[in-house]
Amino acid sequence: MTAFLLRRVLRALLTILIVVAAAFVALRTTSDPAIVVLGPDAPPEAIAAFHEAWGLDRPLWVQFGSYMRDLVHGNFGKSMLDGQDALEKVLDRVAVTLQIMVPALVLGIMAGVGAGTVAALNRGRPLDRLMMLGAVSGFAVPGFVLGLVLVLVFAVTLQWLPSGGNDSWKGTLLPVLTLATGWAAILARFTRSAMIEVLDQPYIRTGSAKGLIWREVVIRHAMPNAAIPVVTMIGFMVGGLLAGAVVTESVFSWPGLGQLIVTSVSSRDVAVVQCVLVLVAATMVMSNMIVDLLYGWLDPRMREGGR
Amino acid sequence: MLLLPRRGFLAMSGAAALAAPRLSFAQSARPSLTVAVQKIATSNTLDPLTEQSNVGTRIMNSYLECLIGQNYQDKLQPVPRLATGWRRIDDRTVELELRRGVKFHNGDEMTAADVAFSFSAARMFGDTTPEGWDRTIAVSEERITQRSKELPPQVPAVSRRLWPSLLQVEIVGDYTVRFVNATPDVTMEGRIMALGSQIISRRAFEEAPSWLDFARSPVGTGPYKVASFTPDTELVLVAHEEYFGGRPPLEELRFVQVPEASQRVNGVRAGQYDMACDLTPDQFDTVTADPRLEIAGGIINNIRVTNFDKHDTALADPRVRQAMLHAVDRQLIVDQLWMGQTVVPKGDQFEWYGDMYLSDWAAPAYDPQKSKELLAAAGYKGEPIPYRLLNDYYTLQVNTAQVMVEMWNQAGLNVEIEMKENWAQIWDPEGTRGIHDWSSGGSFPDPVATQPNQWGPQGQAVQTGEYGNDEVNRLCGVLQTSTDRAARRQAFRRMLEIVEYEDPAYGVINQNATFTAKAKSLAWKAAPSFAMDFRPANWPA
Repeated sequence: MTAFLLRRVLRALLTILIVVAAAFVALRTTSDPAIVVLGPDAPPEAIAAFHEAWGLDRPLWVQFGSYMRDLVHGNFGKSMLDGQDALEKVLDRVAVTLQIMVPALVLGIMAGVGAGTVAALNRGRPLDRLMMLGAVSGFAVPGFVLGLVLVLVFAVTLQWLPSGGNDSWKGTLLPVLTLATGWAAILARFTRSAMIEVLDQPYIRTGSAKGLIWREVVIRHAMPNAAIPVVTMIGFMVGGLLAGAVVTESVFSWPGLGQLIVTSVSSRDVAVVQCVLVLVAATMVMSNMIVDLLYGWLDPRMREGGR
Repeated sequence: MLLLPRRGFLAMSGAAALAAPRLSFAQSARPSLTVAVQKIATSNTLDPLTEQSNVGTRIMNSYLECLIGQNYQDKLQPVPRLATGWRRIDDRTVELELRRGVKFHNGDEMTAADVAFSFSAARMFGDTTPEGWDRTIAVSEERITQRSKELPPQVPAVSRRLWPSLLQVEIVGDYTVRFVNATPDVTMEGRIMALGSQIISRRAFEEAPSWLDFARSPVGTGPYKVASFTPDTELVLVAHEEYFGGRPPLEELRFVQVPEASQRVNGVRAGQYDMACDLTPDQFDTVTADPRLEIAGGIINNIRVTNFDKHDTALADPRVRQAMLHAVDRQLIVDQLWMGQTVVPKGDQFEWYGDMYLSDWAAPAYDPQKSKELLAAAGYKGEPIPYRLLNDYYTLQVNTAQVMVEMWNQAGLNVEIEMKENWAQIWDPEGTRGIHDWSSGGSFPDPVATQPNQWGPQGQAVQTGEYGNDEVNRLCGVLQTSTDRAARRQAFRRMLEIVEYEDPAYGVINQNATFTAKAKSLAWKAAPSFAMDFRPANWPA
């Protein structure tokens, strides 16, 4: 188990390193932060001074080495735009993003897994068709369209909820609903196909034949075996929690990480973008590790294979 | 005798207790206002020296003020603000009498010391020196890095662009100051009223833990003071009760950032915002469909232009650039995209230039035939001309670009749009730059506010290697240093002949306009500027 974990941690660190290196090169070679910050009409001397002050005049590999050295000491650098500590700036926004992402994920999982299971158990019946129609629609309609429709109905017409912003808890409802709809739609389809596959297995027929009540067969035998693809998908969703709501945040003027990413990338605020990417990559990698561990718990054969 | 049951008495008492404070509150309370904007600030700061932008202009005058103000309710004429009067001592010196009893947000009274400090090395210029209009401003690496702990590199650079030749602000008395320039400059009064010349509290600046702390919460004399600022999210201002211009009409003024235009409109329709800025004409019907709402605003002192890189191989021959100018039907753009809500300007100039305004001037006429003839004479063979484009940084920018590309195509020009993320990519000297969009806005009523800053020796187009013309350089000298109005007017005309016709540096498209959705019940008037005026004078009871 220790070797397994060690391998996974090393792979995770390598993944993060590759992400950081790729972003570092891309951000520094596609635009000059000095011109973005100082303005297009800044004198060349001011631009040179800015480069010197931020170390942008050094060779790229020297800059990268310096950045990595700071990074291992937990120093993510400062925002070139306003001098604020990059990590502090990013963590402030993470908290705001999680206010909508966590409830949306919980709601999406509950609705998606529930709907997918019910649809599978009613395969071919009108209820199945209805649920899959809803799932396909929820998947097909982009989040920004759904968001605007919800705003038109609940904010503009009924005036029950705010159209955007995070002034009160009511402001979370529409973005949560928008995000949860998309996730629930995906999970419903995955859960349904996984459940249908499992329900066709001989051991399910055996369980029924030996007299187990159907609910027990579904909960104790079918659902754990159908969980592998669903857990994989949920793992991706958890991994994307931090950066998965860029569009939704923009539509609802939600001042989270998504808006910070957009602003920081367009203004080449390198330290902030790098910090976001490290956190996003770390979340994704950790989420995948947890999913791997869950595989072993859900399916002992995988544990055996792991050895 | 009135008999009141116990329960009824208790219920009435409770209701009265609840209603009483609400009633008294209502009698003395001022309204609070929430304004939805596309962007609050581009620099994540509220300092006029770093926030030199259109969106910065919108918010700045609510918390900071200049010695000479602009008449927002008319044509932006110069009006006394923190100074009660001013006079010319000579062609290099202006003396101003300060208003007495003006209080900063921290309670200090504004004196000449604060004014002098606002234009000092510690606040603005770092270790830079005035070197004259015709030389590159020496903001050397050494000079900037020496002071970088206090001032970010861009502050001295911007300050010297705004005040290239300012020697010092002399304190003549507690309420009298003199602006002393190194060179003659008839536009000093204009520079005093421009964005970047706002007066700040010396004590507040010096006591701030860092430059950034002050830049995030500047202390000035405006009708509102900064309560909180969350970059990219919201700016909350509260009434400055000691404002010299009277009791501010709003308890709280809140600017919230709502990037999506449709969401700004939805928010104002839903009653969540009181005003929604940065609208396009095609949204007007959606707004006015609600009988409670109306559109405010209109044409402002800002002109949308397309700049040429005259050193681009395809554009080196001025006839190709001239052909591009004659191929654009500006009136069609104004009529169709702007739905007639703006106008085609008479070149890059504004009426508020006063006697410097050339009322008989006109932008190159739409003449596709002439365009084709010019291209044939220049031997243009369809070489691609890149059009570096931002995604609607300006209102209707992408739509306008697509229409113009089609017009150029019909004239035989091969213009290719290249979408870019930011200004650095627009100005990147690598590759072929071709053309890009720009806006020209005069921050004070004289051509010096626009022309030399762009096409003169220190102009951004010259510094970035896009343009250069010896005669224009000489004319910039006349404009900036001559005190002979007739000679200056003649120089300006000749300059327009060159930069708009003979050796085109740019082509005007349309006058810019800003539109704001608001409740009809708000008796607030939009200014002919990006600035929004929330002072008592613009808020009739």
